[in-house]
Amino acid sequence: MLFGHSVLADDLFLDGTALPEVLTATRLKQSPAAVPGSMTVLDNELIKASGARDISELLRLVPGMMVGAISGNQATVNYHGTNASEARRMQVLIDGRSVYRAGLATVDWSDIPVAMEDIERIEVFRGPNTVSYGANALMAVVNIITRAPANSHGTRVKLTRGQRGISDWYASQGTGWETGDLRLSLSGQEDDGFDKNRLGADYRDSKRLNRFSLSVSQMLNEQQSIDWQLNAKEGTNQRPYTYQPVFHGVTQQGNNSDVVAKDYAGSLRWNLELNPQHSLYIQGSAQHWDRQQTWRACDAAISFSPELTRLWQLNPNYAERLARHMPDYLSATPGGTPTEQALANQVIDQWKTGGGKNTVCGNIDQSSRETRYDLELQDTLSLSDNLRLVSGMNYRYDRADSETYFNGTLDDTTWRLFGQLEWRASEHWLIQGGAMYEDTQLTGNSLTPRIAVNYLINPRHGLRAVYSEAIRSPDMFENNVNWSYRVTGLSTPVYGQNSAQYFVKTRGPGNLDQEHMRSRELGYNGYFVDQALNLDIKLFYDEITGMISEPLRNNQYIASNSNASRFAGTESQLDWQLSRADRLRLTYAYVHAQASNRLDQRLTASNSGSAGWLRNWGQGWSSALFYYGDSALNGYRFERVDTRIAKRLALGSKTSLELAGTLQQRLDHQPTTFADNLYDSRHVAYFSAELEF
Amino acid sequence: MGHCRPWKALRIHRRLCLCLLVLGMLLGSPLWAADVLLTASDDNSSVRTFTEELAAQRPRDQVRFVPLAQLPPPGQLPGSTRLILLDPQSLDWRLQDPLGPPTLVLRISRLQAQQRLAQSPHPRLSLLWSDPPLERQLRLIRSVLPQVRRVGVLYSADSRFLLKELHLAAQTLNMEIIAEPWDSTSDSRPLQNLLRNSEVLLGLDDPKLYNPKTVKNLLLSSYARQQALIGPNAGFVRAGSLASTYSDQQDWLQTLDSLLDQPPARWPRALYPTAFKVLSNPQVARSLGIEEIDPQAVARQLSEGEKHP
Repeated sequence: MLFGHSVLADDLFLDGTALPEVLTATRLKQSPAAVPGSMTVLDNELIKASGARDISELLRLVPGMMVGAISGNQATVNYHGTNASEARRMQVLIDGRSVYRAGLATVDWSDIPVAMEDIERIEVFRGPNTVSYGANALMAVVNIITRAPANSHGTRVKLTRGQRGISDWYASQGTGWETGDLRLSLSGQEDDGFDKNRLGADYRDSKRLNRFSLSVSQMLNEQQSIDWQLNAKEGTNQRPYTYQPVFHGVTQQGNNSDVVAKDYAGSLRWNLELNPQHSLYIQGSAQHWDRQQTWRACDAAISFSPELTRLWQLNPNYAERLARHMPDYLSATPGGTPTEQALANQVIDQWKTGGGKNTVCGNIDQSSRETRYDLELQDTLSLSDNLRLVSGMNYRYDRADSETYFNGTLDDTTWRLFGQLEWRASEHWLIQGGAMYEDTQLTGNSLTPRIAVNYLINPRHGLRAVYSEAIRSPDMFENNVNWSYRVTGLSTPVYGQNSAQYFVKTRGPGNLDQEHMRSRELGYNGYFVDQALNLDIKLFYDEITGMISEPLRNNQYIASNSNASRFAGTESQLDWQLSRADRLRLTYAYVHAQASNRLDQRLTASNSGSAGWLRNWGQGWSSALFYYGDSALNGYRFERVDTRIAKRLALGSKTSLELAGTLQQRLDHQPTTFADNLYDSRHVAYFSAELEF
Repeated sequence: MGHCRPWKALRIHRRLCLCLLVLGMLLGSPLWAADVLLTASDDNSSVRTFTEELAAQRPRDQVRFVPLAQLPPPGQLPGSTRLILLDPQSLDWRLQDPLGPPTLVLRISRLQAQQRLAQSPHPRLSLLWSDPPLERQLRLIRSVLPQVRRVGVLYSADSRFLLKELHLAAQTLNMEIIAEPWDSTSDSRPLQNLLRNSEVLLGLDDPKLYNPKTVKNLLLSSYARQQALIGPNAGFVRAGSLASTYSDQQDWLQTLDSLLDQPPARWPRALYPTAFKVLSNPQVARSLGIEEIDPQAVARQLSEGEKHP
């Protein structure tokens, strides 16, 4: 088509030295105005200028993204909102590999085995997109793309030190050969988390971690290449001791319930370009999450009474009432059925005479190990200049292993088929639609469609209307939890044993359905060439039905699909290269949340946004100023200004040193998301030195 | 003496004829059959096709192709021959001899000439550049990406000599050249630096930098930053460069035709063809959100801009 005239084939002056077609129809992406949805791209420059130390912090730059903290080492991030302590409706991918933990329905933001310095960009798809990203891409998709090994040549060493115990380091080495490139990076991170809890006591929430990452890309021949990665991370996340003895009179307690977190991941991707119109890849990955959490807890010996356990199984409410108010029922059992009362009498007898009220301490093991194997085939076929089909299939195997949560091992298998068609009907109209079929062993099957129409006023300005449906499968925890504690290493043997089963047991319903999302969106995306200004505006109306809203607690967890939420509002983002030296970036979101379960309204700030100004002053000096604001996250206002000032010193043709200082200043006086998240000072400063050669 | 007159008349007539003939030869040499000799080391179908098309265009000339191996040293060729060289090997052969017929050198780039001729320019050669003129490429950028001011250029030791000219051309167009040396193409840091500091990448026809091995990295890196590559030649546009100007066989036939119409003494020492085309990659343009490029219209616009009064 490019060299349409046949004579050119034999043209003496157009020597067709065998240059491969690189930017093929299958590799080229839609221009921003033609994207079938809302997209925010956090580029390398922005990531660096933000001074952020965590991926979750970066997401404050995305309109509509609600970023909070459960503690200093547990971020909670969700798009538009829902529950403040369980953000589980967003898909997070690293180079196409999902890091959403299927077993425990969570993303451990601070444990993601990727250093900030290795991130090339983050693409956030704001809206459901199961067709392209699979289930759990319910409210948004965060796609973290690491720097290609080919772009990471040389050596980088970086050290960061600051207040609040901040102590980070990073070292990487990249090299290339004739047909491939490699990057090895090692990094570590440490900080003290929040300073104190609501009682003014020291808050045990610091973190420490080390990471290893190896990324290799290798060309096999003109058509084929492979990319593989190995990642590992180990670290400790402190957790305060939170166990409250159920029984009266127990005063002894442990001092922490810290988590040792280890993550391992490996992936291999084989890319095949059959011809410029047809390409496919097969990606296989294996991941393992290891969370070791053991601590010493104390309670009355009666906690292990088989009768009390049976009573709990009969009627948890009754058992809990009895247990919590034992001294009040010593003379008369609480009212209940004859069986309940008979069991209660036995328990009371054990309390009175059988040494049941003696304090016993023992080891609790809440560790879990999750493993995932994932295999995906994706095929991109350009049927004509105006028609492109992306289709594929995916197989996933998940296994969760935890004595406490699953009384052993639980596994799940998921099959997915997906297809999306992009049709450029005319110069102005673009129609993109698709569907995904998913079949999960534990929760059954579903089909989710998606359709988007873009009207391109010209190639740089487009209007879009999108309707999509998406699902989220309940994770193993929500649906199949079999939660009980076997306490070992008892300080005094109970019933002649050194280990015993705690009386509280919780089981998931096992028959939960998928949550269902219906999303409608109208949007505009435009790039004003003369001003170098990009603008995106969207209006949205999202509904989630069949929502599982019950918090994951071990006393009385009764999960159901009985809830619903609605999110409506508007979002805008503006990125303006004011001059060669200045860049201005603004985001704003207004979100109105309505939920049948009030907990699902907690993580929605009705007004939120960010403003950033990046300037290059010349002579190696640069600065960045950011403002972040949320009207209320879990009831608390959040406003912060971050400043980063950096000076780059050239120490030779290829050697440079960058010295940077970041100051974060809170403008409000509120805790961060939860009452226990308090700092002594409203500001924090940290400095970094980065050497590149 | 009367009978002598016819003889005299005849002599005058003969002289007149001779004078006219000489005059005709002097004035109308193009009308006269010239011996146009094309050569190249390789004898292949495209060389033959080109020769045939040139012959068809110049029916009065004797146009022929002789493979380099069958030619005597250049000095032994008749001075009246117009020699056309079609590859660097034939240029090397021609350079052996400072004498020999006037010669048009085709399919030679500025870089190749710099390497072969920088030290000792040859008096009888006319170099017809194969690489697109830098100013034309810059004007192409101006035409398809009017907002662009900072043009990134990678160069090697071989192509460094082009920078001065490039800076000058950019100045007149109110553009700035951000030049970055790229000594080792396996190290992509210079490329990354350049992409960070510029708005578009202009490719120089420097095979050390732009070749089948580097094409992937160049195009994927610039595309990842949503930046276009312009040039360095038509082949790259097919691979994924946004656009380039180029001259094809038809353009060269046209250029040669007008040169062969002139006496060799008036041939310029070096020349960019005035006939050229624009090639664009519509899929890349679409993906970068750039208005569809109409190659003919842009070529016309550029060509009009080159006509100096």
